[in-house]
Amino acid sequence: MIFTIFKKELKDTLRDRRTLMAMLVIPILIFPIIITLFASISEHFKESVMDKTLKIGYYQASDQNSVIKMLKNIPDSLGKMTFVPISSEKELKEQIQLDSLQGGLVFSKQFDQQLSGEQTANITVFSNATKVGYKERIEASLAIIDQQFIAQRLVKLKITNEQIKPIDVSYENTASDQETIGKLAGGILPYFFIAFGFIGCMYPAIDLFTGEKERGTIETLLTTPVERWKILFGKMGVVVLSGLAAASFALIGLFFSIEVMDLVKDPELLAVIHSLLTLKFLAFLYLLLIPLTVFFAGIMIPIAVYAKTFKEAQSIITPLNIVVVLPAMVGFFPGIELTSITACIPVVNIVLATKELIAGTLDIGLLALSFFVMISLATLAVIISFKQFDKESNVVI
Amino acid sequence: MIEVSNLRKEFILSKKQKKEFNTTENTSVAVDGISFVCEPGRVFSLLGPNGAGKTTTLRMLSTIFKPTSGSISVAGIDLQKNPNEARKKIGFLTGSTGLYARLTPDELINYFGALYEVNPEDLIQRKKYLFDLLGMNEFAHKRIGKLSTGMKQKVSICRTMIHDPEVVVFDEPTSGLDVITAENIIQLIRDCKTQGKTVIFSSHIMSEVDLLCDDIAIIHKGKILYNGTMKEFKANMKTENLTSEFIRIVHEA
Repeated sequence: MIFTIFKKELKDTLRDRRTLMAMLVIPILIFPIIITLFASISEHFKESVMDKTLKIGYYQASDQNSVIKMLKNIPDSLGKMTFVPISSEKELKEQIQLDSLQGGLVFSKQFDQQLSGEQTANITVFSNATKVGYKERIEASLAIIDQQFIAQRLVKLKITNEQIKPIDVSYENTASDQETIGKLAGGILPYFFIAFGFIGCMYPAIDLFTGEKERGTIETLLTTPVERWKILFGKMGVVVLSGLAAASFALIGLFFSIEVMDLVKDPELLAVIHSLLTLKFLAFLYLLLIPLTVFFAGIMIPIAVYAKTFKEAQSIITPLNIVVVLPAMVGFFPGIELTSITACIPVVNIVLATKELIAGTLDIGLLALSFFVMISLATLAVIISFKQFDKESNVVI
Repeated sequence: MIEVSNLRKEFILSKKQKKEFNTTENTSVAVDGISFVCEPGRVFSLLGPNGAGKTTTLRMLSTIFKPTSGSISVAGIDLQKNPNEARKKIGFLTGSTGLYARLTPDELINYFGALYEVNPEDLIQRKKYLFDLLGMNEFAHKRIGKLSTGMKQKVSICRTMIHDPEVVVFDEPTSGLDVITAENIIQLIRDCKTQGKTVIFSSHIMSEVDLLCDDIAIIHKGKILYNGTMKEFKANMKTENLTSEFIRIVHEA
């Protein structure tokens, strides 16, 4: 009988446009859209900053100033720059604000003498910090020139590089690429899964409980010879399936972006993703997602049963979305790891366990603890749902 | 047959409801120890003004609400002890009944047939009989949401009768319907009577009661003020017409 109710509710749900959007269309499109947007914006930004010819003003230096000459000789491959003399520091600042100049160099009064006297000569660089990338290009060009002057002075002093650099430090990462990427960026995947799992559950939960009350169909359903717990389980099955489907479609969208649309260019990241998309990974992921989705369904159903209208249910569940999905952001912080304490915090444990799973450092004991916590909470949520669904005052308007 | 004895229903009031009703009581009595019997092959009408307790009584008869005290027997089955067996014998239709708009009539009837555990062969036969009788074949595969009110009412009737119930409960079945659409319901009640089913229906429309019922009970503030046959009721009237008599009885209570 539970399956009869489940089949009917599934058919009904799949004919609801709102649910289809939240369960299928948005999750499947989200990763391709985000990755495409992110890649194209960053590519466009990179190109536009490099392509732009920076007009740099300088003050208190002549055309024959050695720094200006050297700057003019820097190859265009580092980005084109032109240099113009400016009559005052005030004018320099004004033109930078108007973006007619993208940067300014103010040389100290004794600059040439200090430089030739092998002292430290000062240049103040003016730039507008809101124009991202300009300061960095000027900085990079000046660093090249600084290095050239150092080299000249070392030759003159007959000192080798080794003499002024007694220690050479090199750094090696002992973590694998998978671990590094997993720990640093692995929180993004479970965040999206949790967000979509929640949204996927939301509309069917409201539609199948509050909606049934609002449309006046619940009365007739309750007069049929079917126990209420069976009705609840049949409906709950569809809510859980919708949440899992939304998360799964998000995964399919991610797979589509990587394998078909070829949107991930970084070979190291691509290698990690390929090593992750295994049956074992997916099995562990669903092991965590199923109790989480049951938990979501279990906290939404009592609200949906209590609410008298679709709007009322939506107005309670939507803020709950923030409460539930916000802890999922913990995965964005690299320092927080799955411990016996974090494994007991719902949602946080799923995010951190998934992150460890991606990094390949998942402790089975902590996974079992997280799973146990989620199963216990999901069971509790189901019991609360049943109690609420069994209250005649909440079921019939 | 329906046998109701000392039936009582109390609702626990929330703080908000206490404010609304301007009361300090923790409970509100909707039905206060009523008793009556509905015989097979006869139509029993529960007549009362708004808020009298008609819907609460019928919701208890159809197992949606559990009585606070008292007993109900439907087709010889104790409703409290064996609600699921009793539900198989009951058909329930209200004027406010909704239908699953995204399903077709055919899908909806199959669903309710399955919920009532109707044998698949019987389901096909009954569906065909009812679809032919009610003229539902031409819209059997259209989404219910796209049907007219009259068509929806026919689907509701079909849904009520698909498991061939012995007892049929109608809660203000014609409320909000035009006379043409209401005629489907009137005809259904007559057919049920002819087939020897036990019929109980609630109404506040005297003309409808006069047209259909054999037995009558007038309910007001949760208590039964009158219970007898329609013939006796008419014979003992102290006013000119049925509506005036109904008003007189309610006012004198």
